[in-house]
Order: sequence, then structure tokens, then C-alpha cells
Amino acid sequence: MDILLVMLAGMAVGRFLFPAKAKRGNERLALVCTLVLIFSMGVMLGQRDNFLQDLFSLGAASFLMFLVPTVVSIVVVYLLSERFLVKKRRSGKEDPQ
Amino acid sequence: MMVLLTIAALLLGLVYGLSGLELPVVTFLTGHTDAVLYLLMFSVGISVGMYRGLAAKIREYHLRIFIIPAGIMFGSIAGGILCALLLHMPWNYGAAIAGGMGWYSLAGATIGRLVGAEMGSVAFLSNLMREVFSYLIIPFIALKLNYYTSIAPAGATSEDTTLPMMLKYTNEETVVLSVLNGMICSLFVPVIISLCL
Repeated sequence: MDILLVMLAGMAVGRFLFPAKAKRGNERLALVCTLVLIFSMGVMLGQRDNFLQDLFSLGAASFLMFLVPTVVSIVVVYLLSERFLVKKRRSGKEDPQ
Repeated sequence: MMVLLTIAALLLGLVYGLSGLELPVVTFLTGHTDAVLYLLMFSVGISVGMYRGLAAKIREYHLRIFIIPAGIMFGSIAGGILCALLLHMPWNYGAAIAGGMGWYSLAGATIGRLVGAEMGSVAFLSNLMREVFSYLIIPFIALKLNYYTSIAPAGATSEDTTLPMMLKYTNEETVVLSVLNGMICSLFVPVIISLCL
């Protein structure tokens, strides 16, 4: 939750205080922070005793974690869009009034 | 470019970790990831706060703009919980990982710091796969289902990296909705991860 509060503080600063000309610098800062965190994650993983053995199971879990949420998202958005967006558009074409 | 940089950072970290080296700079960095994460979230907040056009676009498209992001968020979280059950991990971990919606750098870094390197890696890899596979899936969905649904696999990346695919395979209205979807999903990624963990 404290992360959320920090982000909200950032949003307030971005909305009211942050100069527009420093936008690029802020983007660079976010990139550097991200790279440091990803690098640190790699270090922690590499220092694990049985990392290479775990690599296969991590890959399989990651694939499942990509596949299922993506497919469920596609199905849900398809059903919603057919119901609320595509039908409305079609009926709008049939009856422009 | 971003994909290459993050993969390079991960590989560099792995090689360093496997090598058994103990450089003081790296030890300092890996010991202060809390501060780096707060700095990152503050920076993300600034980016969101600086965007001025969102309110006007919401007024223009009214509630219609929320249909696609709501479907993507619901589908991702539901799919993540289902995966968590299949993989025998806590449901909130699955929801947080899938809640990354393709934003692999932020999801990997945040979850890695909050839960641990293993879950962070799963978050990083699964969300990276989502972005990469989106390039392959979008044309097929646009052709076989409908244009709006082609935004679904892209998730939070639909406003930037996968946008060229939308431009090529869908129409102008879908491209506008794609940009708005990316903004809304990107805003909610940190919120979902924070609330789940």
C-alpha cells in the first residue's frame, strides 16, 4: 500500500509542480530504476544454489502465466465488445437516428 | 530497444550472481532496492500526473472506453488466479503477476522486490511473452474475431510497443481506443500489484 501512496504523491507532483521540460529526464530516471531493479533480480536469482535446475520450471510457469490470462482476456473482451461495441455499431448503421 | 535493455540487465545480473563475485557497488545496489522501487513508483506517478488529455477523452468516449480495459483487467486477473491454482501458488501472487498486463519491466521489478526473485522472474518472463506474442496474435484476432478484441492481448502495451500492429491491422477508432486502453491499464498495473500483494 505504501507504494500506492508514493505513486499518488508522484501524480500530485506531476499534475501541479513538475516542469514539462523535465519530462524526458523523468522518463530516463524511470528507465534507470527499472534496469537496476531487474539487474538486482538477476543477481538474486543467480546467487540461488539450484538456479539452473529451477530455470526450466520458471520457464514453464511463466508460459502458463502468459497463456491463460491472455486467452481469458481475449474471450472476455470479445464477449463484451460483441455485446456493447459491435452490436451498437451495427444497429447504428441500420438506424442512424 | 527497451526489451533488449531489460533482457541485458537480467542476463548481466544472472551472470554476476552465478560468478560469485562481490563488488561493493553491486552489493550496495542490491541492498537498497526498496529505495529504488519507491523512486520508480514516484517517477511513474509523475508521468501519469503530467498527462493532461485523459479527462477530455473520457468525456468524448464516455463509458465506452472502459469496456475494453475492464475486460482486459478482469480477464487477466481471473486467468492469473486460475494459473495460481494450477501451479499451487497463492492466488494473490497469480493475480499480481497477470495484473502486469504485459508491462514486464514494472511487473518484474515490483513483484521481484515485494515477493522475491523467483516470482519476479515469472512476472518478468510471462509479461514479456505477452508482449512478444501479441505481435503474432493481433493480426489473427483482427481478422477472425473483431478489431476491438485485438487490443486484449496487448494489455498495457497497447498505447506504445504494440500500437504499430493496431495501426496496420485495425481502423482509426480502434487505434484511439487502443491508446486510451493502454493509458488506463498502465495506470492500474501498479494499483493491482499493490493491492494484491
